[in-house]
Amino acid sequence: MCLALLASAVPGAQAESEGRTQTLGFVIRDWFTAVYNSKFVDECPEGVAISNDEVWWRSLPRADRARLTGNGLIQQLNRMPTAMKRGPDGENVCLSPASVKDPPMRVVEGKYSYGVDLNGRSDGAATAKSCPHENFTHPDGTPGIDNQMYRLVGCVYGWRKGGLPELNAHEGRGTSGLGMTLVEITGVTDPRNSPDVTITFYRSVNQFALDGNGKPLPFSSYNVDMAGNKPRYGDSLKGAIRDGVLTTARGDVRLPFYGNYNFLHPSIRDMGLRLEIAPDGATAKGLVTGYYNMDEFLYYVGGMVGHTSTADDCPAMYVAAHELADGYPDPKTGQCTHLSAAFDVMAYAAFVIHPTDQESGK
Amino acid sequence: MTGVPGRGRICLALSAALVLAACAPNEPPSTGAPATMRRLSNDQYRNIIADVFGPQITVAGQADALQRSDGLLAVGADKAEITPSGFEKYYAMARSVAAQAVDPDNRASVVPCAPRSAAESDENCAQQFFAKVGRLLYRRPLAPAELALVLRIAGEGARLRQDFYGGLEVGLVGMLQSPQFLFVVDTLEPDPAHAGKQRLAAYARAARLSLLLWNTSPNEQLLTAAEHGELDSAGGREDIVEHMLSSPRVEAGVRAFFEDFLHFDQFETLEKDSVIYPAFSVRVVEDAREQVLRTVLKHVLDKRADYRDLFTTRDTFITGSLARIYRVPTAKPEGSAWVPYEFPDDDPRAGLLTEVGFAALASHPGRSSPTLRGRAIRENLLCQKVPNPPGNVDFSRFESADAQKKTARERLALHSTNAACAGCHKITDPIGLALENLDGIGQFRRTENGAVIDASGTLDGVPFQDAAGLGRAMRDNPATTSCVVQRLASYALGRNAGGGDKPYVDYLNQLFARNDYDFLELLRRVALSEALFAVKPPVGASSGAPTARMNP
Repeated sequence: MCLALLASAVPGAQAESEGRTQTLGFVIRDWFTAVYNSKFVDECPEGVAISNDEVWWRSLPRADRARLTGNGLIQQLNRMPTAMKRGPDGENVCLSPASVKDPPMRVVEGKYSYGVDLNGRSDGAATAKSCPHENFTHPDGTPGIDNQMYRLVGCVYGWRKGGLPELNAHEGRGTSGLGMTLVEITGVTDPRNSPDVTITFYRSVNQFALDGNGKPLPFSSYNVDMAGNKPRYGDSLKGAIRDGVLTTARGDVRLPFYGNYNFLHPSIRDMGLRLEIAPDGATAKGLVTGYYNMDEFLYYVGGMVGHTSTADDCPAMYVAAHELADGYPDPKTGQCTHLSAAFDVMAYAAFVIHPTDQESGK
Repeated sequence: MTGVPGRGRICLALSAALVLAACAPNEPPSTGAPATMRRLSNDQYRNIIADVFGPQITVAGQADALQRSDGLLAVGADKAEITPSGFEKYYAMARSVAAQAVDPDNRASVVPCAPRSAAESDENCAQQFFAKVGRLLYRRPLAPAELALVLRIAGEGARLRQDFYGGLEVGLVGMLQSPQFLFVVDTLEPDPAHAGKQRLAAYARAARLSLLLWNTSPNEQLLTAAEHGELDSAGGREDIVEHMLSSPRVEAGVRAFFEDFLHFDQFETLEKDSVIYPAFSVRVVEDAREQVLRTVLKHVLDKRADYRDLFTTRDTFITGSLARIYRVPTAKPEGSAWVPYEFPDDDPRAGLLTEVGFAALASHPGRSSPTLRGRAIRENLLCQKVPNPPGNVDFSRFESADAQKKTARERLALHSTNAACAGCHKITDPIGLALENLDGIGQFRRTENGAVIDASGTLDGVPFQDAAGLGRAMRDNPATTSCVVQRLASYALGRNAGGGDKPYVDYLNQLFARNDYDFLELLRRVALSEALFAVKPPVGASSGAPTARMNP
């Protein structure tokens, strides 16, 4: 299309040049792992997971403890490099998590979790695309919730509410403009009710437009990241909008991601998006669900700088992730390669600008 | 091709031109007004400094604002005084400019000669410098006594600082805070055509033209033309005006007029509640102001379009920050990159009144104001006076939260119950309510507090349904054109063009209409009019020229 960016009477909507449909756009600002936190951490009866630093410190002879920690005066962040290089040959155990065998990771044992039923079974039995696992119940009572990502990280301080790495990743995306996902909804006949729409995910090359308080400003324009003459990202899903709620069909989608100084472009299998669009069209909040690639997640965890603040133990998490993975078994080994997951997202109305669009104007 | 042969067409065209010329109104005689002194505006100060010393010179700070009078700062300029604190600002600006002008980076382009020694005074070189710069700053050659004074100051400064350029700096500081620079002085000279009478001196005429058309002092060419008497003849003056109008610098002149006409000095203090309007920012303030000016300049300079169509045009420019408020896409969302934009035919926005600049400026910090908007339209754009509210008005009646009154129209209806209010509000509110679909920063809205906004009304008996309709009514209102004519005449003359100037203003109105409301042509006719230079001595005055002296 040429400039299909004519302002519409619908806030934030872009009229398409062909037909009488409109395009809605959003930029995802918040992306947090959906974690069910009870007040007294009941879901983690053993307590929160112990960290790599803690494992390292416990492994030290008493004489070394004083020497290597400055009699306890060296801050954990400063002793982290030493703590991580505790493999038998000095390997960094977050980059080589199989080099040591740590105590088992404390994982979620609670009943409840956010998320959805991804494999269509509530009894935890295996299917063609899932391994046996224990299901959760949604806090609203819905059974059969698949969320092994939560089971894995729900007892790790860094992923729980207020956890520093999640917030750090969030802030990093906000100020750097990296890993920004654009959501373009085409084929909209009515912003509140459209039976057949297409949802396409792009990456933005522009930073968030923020107000004086650091909050995104709705109705800003964002250019699509291109690789040559094609969008670098551009996977699509079909969907529908009913009473202002967008629900997509499931499909494999690759999304941009940036957090804690790591770039990822994870492929989320069977991904679905549910977005509740505010009546004024300015904001939308919802949930991304699907099977998250385990290796890409472990790569992200291994590359984190702040394992002390995350309070995770890479070797233990590596083992636990393999034990908990519940999606897409490897045809040869039977080892599941993905973790069912859910992410809370908050999006702001945006104009998704394609390079084929002319400069703004009629 | 059929029709009249070539020669016949030429004759026809000539005949038509002659007929038109015969019908063209003649400028009525003007008695003029006493000579005055007008203080430079901040923009004029900056433009002059850039012209004389180069655009790389930073003018830090601002002088005290001029006082608006009869709708224009340019009219209030002749009533301006310099307060002690205002003088301190000029002094600080002068020191900064002078230091930059003669610093090692700039002196080669500013000082026309090299001193014998950089460590001591050189009167010959200093004289060349001050003669050149002083002529441009004072808009006339320096009088021998003025030159001698500044040379003495510069020489003493060089001796004390053991620095030739330091001496120039000291002398320049004195010139930059002199009333001869800060005030445009109407100097007079004997009128050779009318024995015993005086006329505006050639240099003063050059200054009037330059400030009107370029918003800066005359350059060397114009001063030379004035010196050689080229402004004395109608032909010579016409050549100069044509040259100036064909220069890109005329944009600065037109921009300055519309900034004054539209009261854009109010942008300096425009603030909004960031909780209510998070999209509003300093960048938006700058861009909103610039958007209106770019719209105007494109319309009246590039397109030479009908001035009245400014109130209906859908052509404008946007930046990323404005696009967000207009809720339209832009391929350049970051920074202040300007791109042309045309509001679609079905968009409720059309004309200057629906741009963010107008909507935000004539609003309260946290909400729109039909009254302020109506008053701005009446006073600024239609030149109609709206009285101030009585001092004993209880505003709480109108501003208190009343769930039953969801829209501004409902709340303002209270005015009709109060005779003291109704008289004025019936002038302002009906047209201000037409813009209620634009909130306090110009964002479009269909409802207020859940109630659908009714933007219909009438302007002087002409009904409309919405903001675009108001724009059309404004376009066709005779006061729209007569107002800009009256203001331009006042702006050019430096005084309110009223009373005795009515024949002149009427003459300009006729010209404006005859030329399809071409603003640039109107400006040209003003620049060529005898009234622009007409002066008369003040009653009881001996010389007729205002006096000014350099500060010791």
